Amino acid sequence: MDLYEYQARELLQEAGIPTPDAIYAADKQQAMQALEHIGLPAVIKGQAKIGHRGQAGAVKVVKTREEASAAIDHILPMSIDGHAVNGVLVAEAMNIRDEYYVSISVDRTNRSFCVLATSAGGTEVETLAHDHPEAVKRMQITMLENFDHAAAVRMAEAIAFEGADIEQAATILEQMWQCFVTNDATLVEINPLANVELPDGSTQLYALDAKISLGGNAAFRHDGWKRFEDPVVSDTLEARAQAAGMHYVQLDGQVGVIGNGAGLVMSSLDAVAFAGDAIGQPITAANFLDIGGGASAEAMSRSLKAVTANPSVKSIFINVYGGITSCEIVAEGILQAVDELGITVPMVVRFDGNAAAEGLATLEAAHKTNVHVAATMDEAARQAVAFAAQAATPASAPAPTQA
Amino acid sequence: MSAFIANNAPVIVQGMTGHQGMTHTQRMLKAGTNIVGGVNPRKAGTAITFEAREAGNTVEIPVFATVAEAKAATGAQASVIFVPPRFAKDAMIEAIKAEVKLIVVITEGIPVNDTAYCVELALQRGIRIVGPNCPGLMTVGEDAEHPGVNLGIIPDGIVGRGPLGLVSKSGTLTYQLMSELADIGFTACLGAGGDPIVGTTLREALEEFENDDATKAVVMIGEIGGRAEEEAAHWAKHHMTKPVVAYVAGFTAPEGKQMGHAGAIVSGGKGTAQDKLESLEAHGIRVGKTPSECAELMRDTLAQL
Repeated sequence: MDLYEYQARELLQEAGIPTPDAIYAADKQQAMQALEHIGLPAVIKGQAKIGHRGQAGAVKVVKTREEASAAIDHILPMSIDGHAVNGVLVAEAMNIRDEYYVSISVDRTNRSFCVLATSAGGTEVETLAHDHPEAVKRMQITMLENFDHAAAVRMAEAIAFEGADIEQAATILEQMWQCFVTNDATLVEINPLANVELPDGSTQLYALDAKISLGGNAAFRHDGWKRFEDPVVSDTLEARAQAAGMHYVQLDGQVGVIGNGAGLVMSSLDAVAFAGDAIGQPITAANFLDIGGGASAEAMSRSLKAVTANPSVKSIFINVYGGITSCEIVAEGILQAVDELGITVPMVVRFDGNAAAEGLATLEAAHKTNVHVAATMDEAARQAVAFAAQAATPASAPAPTQA
Repeated sequence: MSAFIANNAPVIVQGMTGHQGMTHTQRMLKAGTNIVGGVNPRKAGTAITFEAREAGNTVEIPVFATVAEAKAATGAQASVIFVPPRFAKDAMIEAIKAEVKLIVVITEGIPVNDTAYCVELALQRGIRIVGPNCPGLMTVGEDAEHPGVNLGIIPDGIVGRGPLGLVSKSGTLTYQLMSELADIGFTACLGAGGDPIVGTTLREALEEFENDDATKAVVMIGEIGGRAEEEAAHWAKHHMTKPVVAYVAGFTAPEGKQMGHAGAIVSGGKGTAQDKLESLEAHGIRVGKTPSECAELMRDTLAQL
C-alpha cells in the first residue's frame, strides 16, 4: 500500500524526523486558506502516488498569492501517468544548502533491508546507481541486529552526508529505521533529505519529500490502516472487487480470466495474449482473478459476477487445476452463476486435477449454449480468444471450433 | 534417502487443531506422512483421532503444549505450520528455537518483516524454512517400504517416483507441471512460495537437487517480481551439473500491479517475465513460454541425457 506524500510526512513526524511546515488541502479554497497559515514563499505540491511529480510540473515554488492561485489551478486537475492528483500540499519554502537521498527498503535478494543513500539528492537514484555506482552507498540492516545510535553513526559516517552534521544524519537514520519497523513499511524513502539553513544561521536536516509503502499483509496490526484510506472514494470495478476480498486486477483486454492460484492465472493471461498474437488479433485479458484454494461454488459465482460487470468482457476463460479444489464443485458454481446472473457471454472452461472429469460432465450435461469446455489450457485460451474476436468483428473473424 | 528430508521422518503440525490443520493433517497422513504430533497449548494432553493410511484403521495423534515438548516426545524432524498470519511469527520462532531442522510454512499473508526476522534466525541456526505462502514440500518414496513425505497441501497421487526435481513459486503451476510430467516422475517437489522473502529460494532448492543423487534434472517455475530466477540461473551456470528447464509466468502482467502473490509485482520496470526469460536463456536454461512448452522442453532435455 503506497501512501501520499502528506500521509508519509505524518509517519516521519511521528518518528521525530523534522519536516517543513505544511498543510494538506483537498481543494482550491482549502489550499488558499493553507497558504495564509504557511506564508510566502511556499511550495505547492500535487499529491499523487507516483514519483517524478516535479518533472511532471506538479510541484511549484510560488512567491505571491497570484502565483499560488495559478499553480493550484494548474496542479489540482492534473493526472500524472494515469495517477490523478488528489489535493495539494502547501509547504513552507526552505533555504536549501545540500540535498541527499536516503531510503530503506525490503531487500528480496539478501532477505534483509537495504539502506540506499547518495549525496546527489532529488535526482533519479536508480539512474545514478546505474551510471555512477560509486556515488550510491548500499548498506544492510537486518531484523535481528540492534540498529542503535552507535550503528547509525557508523552508517552516517560511511554515507558521508557532506556538509551536514553527522550526529543529525545518524539520528535521522535511526528514526527512519524506527519508522520502517513500527509501521511495517516495505519502503521509507526521503528524497530529498535537505540540509536547510535556518533564520538563525544554523543548519538542520529536513525531510522535504517522502515516499512510504506499507506491507499489505501487516494491516491487521494497524487497524487496517483506516487512517490512510483514500479520501477520494474510488468506485472502479477493481476497487469494488478488492473490497469484497477478491484477488482481482483490472486489465484492458476483452477476455475475462478466472482461475485458481496466482501463478496459474498469470499463466492464463499469457496464454490469452499468445493466442491473440497467433491469429493476428489484439485480444488480451480483461482482468486477473484468482479464486484461491478450496474455492466454493459461491466463490465462483461471485467471481463471475465481478468479471461480467466489466462491459469490455466479450468472452470468459475459466482455468482450474483442482488440487484441493474439486472441479465438480467449481462446475456447479459456474452453472449457478450462469442461471442467476443470466450470463450470455461465451465461456470456455478448462479443468484438470481433482474431479476434473466429473466437473466437465456436469457442465456438458447442463447443455448451456454459452458454456464450452476445452481439453487443455492452451486450447481453452484459443477458443476464448476466438469468441472475443468474433464479438469484436462479427463478419470477418473465424468461427471458434470446439475441441 | 530423499532430497530435503529422510523417508518416513517424524513430523509435527503447528495449528493441527484448526480447520486447515485438521483437513491437511488428514491428507498428509493418507499420503503416508509419519505425523507424530500436533501443537496447541490450549489442547495439550489431548489426542485427535484421524483415519490412518490403511483404510478402516484410525490413528491417535497427541497434542503437545509446545514445539519443544513435541520434539522431545517424538523426535520430530520437521514441522508444518498452518497457523493464521498474526500467529505465524511466534510459531516459526518456537519451531526454530526447538531446533526442528525443517519448517514448512503454508500460511499466506504473513507480514514480510516477520518473515525476514524468522528467516534470518533460521539461517543463523542452520535450520531450513520452506515458504511461507507455499503449497509445501513433497518427496516421492521409492516404494511402499520407503514412503515419501508430504508436508503441506500438494495433492497426493499426481505423480510417482522418477528422476525429476521441481521447485516453484506457485502452487497450482506446480500441480500443472507435475501432471504434465507425471509419466516421467519426480524425486521431490518444493513450493518455494510467492512472498518477497522466503526461507528456501529457487537457488537453494537447486543446490539441494544438485546434491541429490536420484534427481537427474530440475523443473523451475518462476513468476514476475524480484530476481530469484536470475540468481538461481547464475548459480546453476557455475555450479550445477544437472539440466534445469524453466517456466516463467506473467509475460503480460502490467507494471506496478500485485498479481495475487505478495511478491508477484513488476516495479520500476524490474522483475518482468521477459527479463527473466532472457537471463535464464543467457545462463543456458531453456524456458517454455507456456507450461506445456516447458514440459516438452524437459522431455527433449531428458532424451539428450
